[in-house]
Amino acid sequence: MPPRSDHAAGSGAAAAATQAHFDSIDPLFHVLRVLPFSFLLPPRTRLRLPSNLALPSPMTVFSLILLTYFAVVSGLVYDVIVEPPGIGSAQDPGTGAVRPVVFLPGRVNGQYIIEGLSSGFMFLLGGIGIILLDLAVDRTRPRSLRVSFGSAGAVAVVIAYAMAMLFLRIKIPGYLW
Amino acid sequence: MAPSALASLPAPLRSLRLKTKQQELLLRVSALALIYVLAFAVRLFSVLRYESMIHEFDPYFNYRTTLFLTENGFSEFWNWFDSESWYPLGRVVGGTLFPGLMVTAALLHRLLRALSLAVHIREVCVLTAPFFAANTTLVAYAFGREIWDSGAGLVAAALIATVPGYISRSVAGSYDNEGVAIFALLLTFYFFVRAVNTGSLAWALASAFGYFYMVSAWGGYVFIINLVPLYVLVLLVTGRYSQRLYVAYNCMYVLGMLLAMQIRFVGFQHVQSGEHMAAMGVFFLLQVFFFLDWVKYLLNDARLFKSFLRITLTCVITVGTLALGIGTASGYISPWTGRFYSLLDPTYAKDHIPIIASVSEHQPTAWSSFMFDFHILLFLFPAGLYFCFKRLSDATIFIVMYGLTSMYFAGVMVRLILVAAPAVCLISAIAASATIKNLTTLIRTKSRSPQTTSGKTTGSKSAAKGVVDQSLPFQHNAAIGLLLGAFYLLSRYAIHCTWVTSEAYSSPSIVLAARGHNGGRVIFDDYREAYYWLRQNTPPDAKIMSWWDYGYQITAMGNRTVIVDNNTWNNTHIATVGRAMSSYEDEAYEIMQSLDVNYVLVVFGGVTGYSSDDINKFLWMVRIGGGVFPVIKEPDYLVNGEYRIDKGAAPKMLNCLMYKLCYYRFGELTTEYGKPPGYDRVRGVEIGNKDIKLEYLEEAFTTSNWIVRIYKVKPPKNRS
Repeated sequence: MPPRSDHAAGSGAAAAATQAHFDSIDPLFHVLRVLPFSFLLPPRTRLRLPSNLALPSPMTVFSLILLTYFAVVSGLVYDVIVEPPGIGSAQDPGTGAVRPVVFLPGRVNGQYIIEGLSSGFMFLLGGIGIILLDLAVDRTRPRSLRVSFGSAGAVAVVIAYAMAMLFLRIKIPGYLW
Repeated sequence: MAPSALASLPAPLRSLRLKTKQQELLLRVSALALIYVLAFAVRLFSVLRYESMIHEFDPYFNYRTTLFLTENGFSEFWNWFDSESWYPLGRVVGGTLFPGLMVTAALLHRLLRALSLAVHIREVCVLTAPFFAANTTLVAYAFGREIWDSGAGLVAAALIATVPGYISRSVAGSYDNEGVAIFALLLTFYFFVRAVNTGSLAWALASAFGYFYMVSAWGGYVFIINLVPLYVLVLLVTGRYSQRLYVAYNCMYVLGMLLAMQIRFVGFQHVQSGEHMAAMGVFFLLQVFFFLDWVKYLLNDARLFKSFLRITLTCVITVGTLALGIGTASGYISPWTGRFYSLLDPTYAKDHIPIIASVSEHQPTAWSSFMFDFHILLFLFPAGLYFCFKRLSDATIFIVMYGLTSMYFAGVMVRLILVAAPAVCLISAIAASATIKNLTTLIRTKSRSPQTTSGKTTGSKSAAKGVVDQSLPFQHNAAIGLLLGAFYLLSRYAIHCTWVTSEAYSSPSIVLAARGHNGGRVIFDDYREAYYWLRQNTPPDAKIMSWWDYGYQITAMGNRTVIVDNNTWNNTHIATVGRAMSSYEDEAYEIMQSLDVNYVLVVFGGVTGYSSDDINKFLWMVRIGGGVFPVIKEPDYLVNGEYRIDKGAAPKMLNCLMYKLCYYRFGELTTEYGKPPGYDRVRGVEIGNKDIKLEYLEEAFTTSNWIVRIYKVKPPKNRS
């Protein structure tokens, strides 16, 4: 396409605008420029989006996704569909007393609500621990903050892994036998 | 500077430097080869323990159809009407299955025979899934390299080789559609991401053919045709529209749709089914985007373009909504299927479709199933998402969306952990690779500090870097400790995966294994015993009635006609069988006569403790039967809402056909030391009706451990 001519002068620009003069030789361009607007009128609308409407930042979206992840791996869908109790109960064969049971035994694909939320929290803690380790490597942060992040991250991963293994052994008695 | 520095190096050092890349390549290829062998070998537990055989239920139908395909050719296979299934209805096989798996195995079989390897088709079927799992590791490596770097690719390949979520459906003998479908799914995604990254038509074409392979293999292709447009939509919303995206999606969608229509089971669903409308909508939206982009380029006036934009969007939305409304109202566009809808609304299946809710692998997922199938990947997954969000690109956005959607669906249906497994492995590989790289960078930085100190005089920047590098206390030792911790976690992952594969996912379920009191394995081979009895002792045209779980096995191993099987395409027919099992013997006899049943087969675990027997499935027979025939009511079989089989059981329960067939002569049997005769070892109680009398059936065969019991239906009495 040939370049469009520029109208630098004010009066020249006004005169050119009134003339509606374009240099393009594309016939479709001229038809498209004139024909739709000869019968189409833009509707008068007061609809205006808020000017500060913007997409959220990546880390904001990531935080929301973390919460969603916690809900899923806690078995929240299972809780909604199957409706298990918060904790179970079992009768002591010796004394006959009823005591609470936090973990539903004997079934891999079954859970009470509390055990699901606890385990989901451990998974989240482990993930955040690894994230803290990455933040500790960032050289732009002050030294004390890096030490704190690194220590907290390592401790979080260790605790999360240990607790998850403990939960799994309670859940599956013969685990790694 | 680099060329001159390279030139200034002595010859030996220069050749050594050149060899570094060769060493890296050698290391990478060796690692991939080992991962390939590992992915294959870890899935062979069942072959080593039992023998090379087909597992579970569905794979027997797949094996039977593959056998038919190799013996009769593709055209006969495509036009096959199977009269041995769903008697008296039969089944049009070519139009009701996904042929990708069978064609793949048949081609492999032909290839092996061309290489003069005289293998039986069954061996090919048994090893198809491990073979494709090994190939999936290569795709995972390529995908990881495309998304992040080659290190993440290698970690992804290693993780996916052993992840239990994937192994559960790809062990040797699990000859099912998912075996090749996961390979096709990941291949399609890899090609598409590559097409988006490069804007190349060739990669988009490869993606379309990968999609075609996926469509031919598994109904889960609906996930692809919904995730890809969702991804495109997110790119548009975040302002990442590009010519590359336009080329990739247009080619993939149009060609993929045309190719998918060649599969008879799919047919015109791409333009008539509700599940596929999102892809079409995004396709048209992309054309509108392209058109507006072009108009914006032509029009210089921003205000004029804004008016045009508003008019165009109004017209497009109106026309689109109108088309969708008319299509849905006229019935041209079919609504969402029950299974698809139950993934969007998890409570739907529970209330409306008992046959979907009755399958154990359709249950929602508890935390322990996630832990069982993913192990430490559950920690690495959120960290991997963090790294992806830190480095957003078209490729990382895709893997994030794939990971999130598949994890949600895995939460709704435990079976779909299989689809989530590749995504979780890839995202976790990014976290593992980035973390290990951070730690090794810290270790190497410490080791270079003497050089930095000695080179302090060369520049202030180097000196400043040295100062900052040494600021963290015990950095070197801490990094080494954390690196060892990371390797410890990864090794625990490997141990966990091997144990899970060995203990939970390598059971054929047609040959049962239990641990005896001395710790050894006890083998129960009752299923094959029963099927071989049927094959050899019944007339070839005998009709067998059983619950649909065993239908495929009876046709494949017993070579007999069944009333219902695992295809579950006719709910009324299954409900009729459920009604027969739930009714009194005389009512059931009339139903069996109308269905021309000759033998009834039931599975009973009261002697061995096998808990997946028909008594435990009985309530589902009642619910499915009652869903079609209101005469069957679930409360009739319960006592105060409780399911019982002992003396306190409901009268209808104690006299229904299923109870009678399972517990016939069981009352005389002592099953456990110290327990009375008739003690059911699964339910843990003494049965309520010990003196069962059969009037219209007679016992024909009971297997050694009483797991399978076969009864002959007596002919009608002479009325003369």
